[in-house]
Amino acid sequence: MKKNLLKSNAVQSLIASLLCIVLGLLLGYIVLLFINPTGAGEAIMAVIKNFWNYSRAPLQVKNFGNTLVKTAPLLMCALSVLFAYKVGLFNIGAAGQYVVGSCACLYGALALHLSWFPCLLLALIVGGVYGALVGLLKAYCNVNEVISGIMLNWIGLYTTNMLLAGVKESTSPYTLHLKTDAPQAMLPTLGLGKFFNNNGNVTVAIPLAIIFAVAIMILLDKTKLGYELRATGNNKNAAKYAGMAEKRNIILTLVIAGSLAALGGAFLYLTDYEQWSVTQSSVPGMGFNGIAAAFLGGLNPIGTIFASYFIQHITVGGAYVDKTMYSSQISDLISSLIIYLCGFVLFIKYAINMGIAKSEEKQLQKEKAAADQASAEKGGDK
Amino acid sequence: METPYAIEMLNITKRFPGIIANDNITLQLKRGEIHALLGENGAGKSTLMSVLFGLYQAEEGVIKKDGREVQIKDPNDANALGIGMVHQHFKLVECFSVLDNIILGVEPVGKMGILQKQEARKKVVELSDKYGLQVDPDALIEDITVGMQQRTEILKMLYRENEILIFDEPTAVLTPQEIDELMKIMKNLAAEGKSILFISHKLAEIMAVADRCTVLRKGKYVGTVETANSSPEELSAMMVGRNVNFHVDKKPAEPTDVVLEIEHMSVASKAHKKDAVHDVSLKVRRGEIVCIAGIDGNGQSEFVYGLTGLEPLREGKLILAGKDITHATIRERSTSGMSHIPEDRHKHGLVLDYTLEDNLVLQRYFEPEFTNGAGFLRRDNIRKYAERLIADYDVRSGQGPITRARAMSGGNQQKAIIAREVDKDPDLLVAVQPTRGLDVGAIEFVHKKLVEQRDAGKAVLLISLELDEVMDVPDRILVMYEGEIVGELDPKTTTQEELGLYMAGAKRDEVSA
Amino acid sequence: MKKFLALLLSAVMVFALVACGGGGGTTEPATPAAPATTTPATPATPAEPATPATPATPAAPAAADMKVAMITDYGDITDQSFNQTTYEAAKSWSESNGVDFTYFKPASDSDDDRVAMIEKAIDEGYTVIVMPGYAFGPAIVATAPEYSDVTFIALDVSAGDLGDGFQMPANLYCAVYQEELCGYMAGYAAVKLGYSKLGFLGGMAVPAVVRYGYGFVQGADAAAAADGKTDVSIKYAYGNQFYGDGDITAAMDTWYAAGTEVVFACGGGIFTSAGEAAAKVGGKVIGVDVDQAPTIDGLYGANMTVTSAMKGLAATVNTLLTQVKDGSFAGGKVDTLGLVSANPEENYVQIPMGSTQWSDSFSKDDYKALVGDMFGGKVTVSNDITKAAGDFATVTTVEDLGNIK
Repeated sequence: MKKNLLKSNAVQSLIASLLCIVLGLLLGYIVLLFINPTGAGEAIMAVIKNFWNYSRAPLQVKNFGNTLVKTAPLLMCALSVLFAYKVGLFNIGAAGQYVVGSCACLYGALALHLSWFPCLLLALIVGGVYGALVGLLKAYCNVNEVISGIMLNWIGLYTTNMLLAGVKESTSPYTLHLKTDAPQAMLPTLGLGKFFNNNGNVTVAIPLAIIFAVAIMILLDKTKLGYELRATGNNKNAAKYAGMAEKRNIILTLVIAGSLAALGGAFLYLTDYEQWSVTQSSVPGMGFNGIAAAFLGGLNPIGTIFASYFIQHITVGGAYVDKTMYSSQISDLISSLIIYLCGFVLFIKYAINMGIAKSEEKQLQKEKAAADQASAEKGGDK
Repeated sequence: METPYAIEMLNITKRFPGIIANDNITLQLKRGEIHALLGENGAGKSTLMSVLFGLYQAEEGVIKKDGREVQIKDPNDANALGIGMVHQHFKLVECFSVLDNIILGVEPVGKMGILQKQEARKKVVELSDKYGLQVDPDALIEDITVGMQQRTEILKMLYRENEILIFDEPTAVLTPQEIDELMKIMKNLAAEGKSILFISHKLAEIMAVADRCTVLRKGKYVGTVETANSSPEELSAMMVGRNVNFHVDKKPAEPTDVVLEIEHMSVASKAHKKDAVHDVSLKVRRGEIVCIAGIDGNGQSEFVYGLTGLEPLREGKLILAGKDITHATIRERSTSGMSHIPEDRHKHGLVLDYTLEDNLVLQRYFEPEFTNGAGFLRRDNIRKYAERLIADYDVRSGQGPITRARAMSGGNQQKAIIAREVDKDPDLLVAVQPTRGLDVGAIEFVHKKLVEQRDAGKAVLLISLELDEVMDVPDRILVMYEGEIVGELDPKTTTQEELGLYMAGAKRDEVSA
Repeated sequence: MKKFLALLLSAVMVFALVACGGGGGTTEPATPAAPATTTPATPATPAEPATPATPATPAAPAAADMKVAMITDYGDITDQSFNQTTYEAAKSWSESNGVDFTYFKPASDSDDDRVAMIEKAIDEGYTVIVMPGYAFGPAIVATAPEYSDVTFIALDVSAGDLGDGFQMPANLYCAVYQEELCGYMAGYAAVKLGYSKLGFLGGMAVPAVVRYGYGFVQGADAAAAADGKTDVSIKYAYGNQFYGDGDITAAMDTWYAAGTEVVFACGGGIFTSAGEAAAKVGGKVIGVDVDQAPTIDGLYGANMTVTSAMKGLAATVNTLLTQVKDGSFAGGKVDTLGLVSANPEENYVQIPMGSTQWSDSFSKDDYKALVGDMFGGKVTVSNDITKAAGDFATVTTVEDLGNIK
């Protein structure tokens, strides 16, 4: 009974993910021990506790809301990576698609004065086009999507900086606040903030991201398109043999993946939680963390919801590490270590399977020995 | 204590989850003998050899070398004991040259870690000449034919001067002449004192070359016989547990109207500037099986790719049931009545990580029966359809429709593909090496299905490398040599020898089929 | 199977240990070994019992309950500029006054994360929040009125940063500086010291930086006029970011190659570009905010830094924290800090007495006289940032290059 349970793919994924988390925390703890042993336990707990670091319930709830706000974009990036991965593509360009999505929605809101829904659509379209670039290069010029994706990440970043420089505050590198300059573009809160101590950042983005996760799962598992895309991902020769339009599918996949990541950008920036800094010179980590979230989630859209939350939880939690004991980079380091270990899900799953196979062999041996004995006792009837 | 045995595998048992692959098997290989290991697919031959080669560890039993018990934990141990193996699926580095692959792992290294390839090249060329294993030492593996790749594998073993040579189904990809040559090589090697284990399910070859033969069936040891005192019928009965009808029973063909017409078809080669297929014209009619025979690598694969749309034609015209499909997509060809049993079931035929049912609808999933108007798959219909095919074609698997294709045996994978392609009710069935790697029982099944299709008024185009198949199944034989049709033969009147001459390019007619 | 379970179990156990360790850390401050062996940084640990400033008695006077927390803006406490100066000042004040001090760094560069950290500090019982940088405007608006029992000290946050219609609560004190005055001093000094080809490399054109720049132009212009020089020229540009990089260094290279003698590197870490370029040709640099001579000379070569236009961040922090401790804190206002005395070293804006490269043409006494004139109103400096840099030039030529990037 137990064995069957362990053999199930879902259970394996879950165990592997949990193990990864434990290992990540353990490794983080060890690193902290090396740096300053006295505060290591407290520091790792601060990371784990995140909003529970606050003593008062209203503050806890409010900051829980903030973590959720950042989970929505991460989930979208993770879905982008996951979706492409199912089709055999490694969408490292999710980071850039996230950036152009942020750009499109902020530009739409601040320069074109669009309201939130057109802003979302604009992000979706721009992200799709951006993904299509990678797809076209892959399909027609056989350019590896990782290479073009990474390059487009930077192109996207600097284009965004350039475009958004037109809608930034005059005295800072930040884009204008939507709250004051484009309230029409703020995502509707649907009164969700009430549940989070009137946290105005909690918007429709959070349920929308979850709906997208479910939609992606349905698309992959239940539709003709999903069937084709997964076939292409699993064996593109067979997909071609079966008459599936391989090139079209590659492009379509990256269009969808690009749109998802771009919506992730919109889901963050249309809450006005953050302003875009037009002087940033590194691609935001959201898209890259999406890779970790997708793997930690066992490449399952529903698992990815939880994985995204977890990763965002510890990322935010890292800020609560006592800065007088550990320099501020340490909290990033610890979060990164845990995220890095999250990528080991597949490896741990493999280890589990090896373990099962071995134990089953032993079991069989025992059974056989027992059976031999029994048959010997019975006088060898066959 | 002197023993006549080079290698003894005594009472070997190896289990995998769910099955016992080897159940108390004993195999004794004498020094200087050619010992055949016979069995159907899944009989446990490959597992037994993997145990010997250190890829698997047996749970029970001992392995003795020259009478002394040895532990073989990995292929390095096997190598150290002088055991070499040509695997069924080659273990070659695609982007390395033939020479690099041969010396891989035993590179002659000079001072400063610089490779000394000249000597190695000399040795390889010598071996290659000596045994007639023609290879170009500088060609890249990815550019050469399967046959040449195998020759590279054999050379690899010879280069290492192994004493115990395991050949895992080595003749599958060789020409009759090459097979003869290989048989000679094997006999020479045995005469020089090397011991050869020859895994095969081709009875004729075993009768021709092996001194003794051990037969396995369903993981169990059936027996060991001297081939001189045995017969193909006896071996066959031992292997399958019943007598197999070797000859394909079929009525004389009654060809009617033309289904497929190929006019001056040429397909460019990826490896060189010449055409892989050059100016091929042929017709296939309803109610006949036409076979394209030829040695591997003479353009058959490219011919099929061009015909089925996997590769574009450089020149020529294709007409299927009166419709010009020269520029049609793969899907259009498929829906216009062409079915294709591909040469490589893992590369093209199946999505291995898909379930059996998903694989069974691979050519039809888009039809209204399986996809509704909103683009959602109609899972219930797919299940019903899969269950019917599984029953009709006796496709066996662990969990029925939801078995992963990867978890199925080769024969059942092939049956699934045949079920899928035949059930499409095509006008033209293109079957490329449909019995490759199958055991006798499965081969019989496939041949029966092909003849059934013919009798049902379909046109069948068979592409085969197996001489038996070429002689038994089709109604007409077209021999392809270097991308051209060099002869048309009537299987009823021709002989294997004549066929071999055409296949080897020694004889050619002006054919206008 | 068993092995796997064992592995899992041990992992969980270790995890549990970690958890215990974490929880235990706060409840075991009495362990004598830990405080005795730790570095001097540990007095800041909240539960440290040895610190006399935090007696457990709740009835102690307000000052004794004082706990100081600094929040960084998007920078870090090692930015060799704003955050670092504030951090060091607040930390040393707290140490010498026996007050708990720590600092927090927000999870990301966003208002809500800054709010989260402010609330975290308050949640941990910190009573004074020190925040350097204009970026804190919205975060202050969101927290200061709500936590009226906590003192908020914001540096470089102007009324404009807080937004229109914001009622300054009594627990909030904001300081902005008359950067134009020390900019003026630096520009005046540069020309007086014999340099005639000057450069101004601002960070971003935020008001504080612009004031520095315009003061610099005015000072240079005034010195040129006083000496009757007409050949003084100023290249004027912003890097559009607060850190140096290859592009900006390249621009600086062309400046120095074209004859520029000294560049006023005005904005966070942007001095690295000026310093790198200057080092190649033996050029000079003027520092900003704090006395940057040790930093720049240390990095790029001795005697590179002519002077620095300093504003008294440290002084402000010290003054205000002392006021809070004494109970004389008077909030509810935005102070514009500049000259308070004819004695240069008592002012909030100055150039360093020690490291400025004084000469006969501009000595310490000349500088004191200048400050006296400025304090006395004989010299006025415009802080009108609506004008262009060139508007302030009477005898000098200003080449306004806008943003480099």
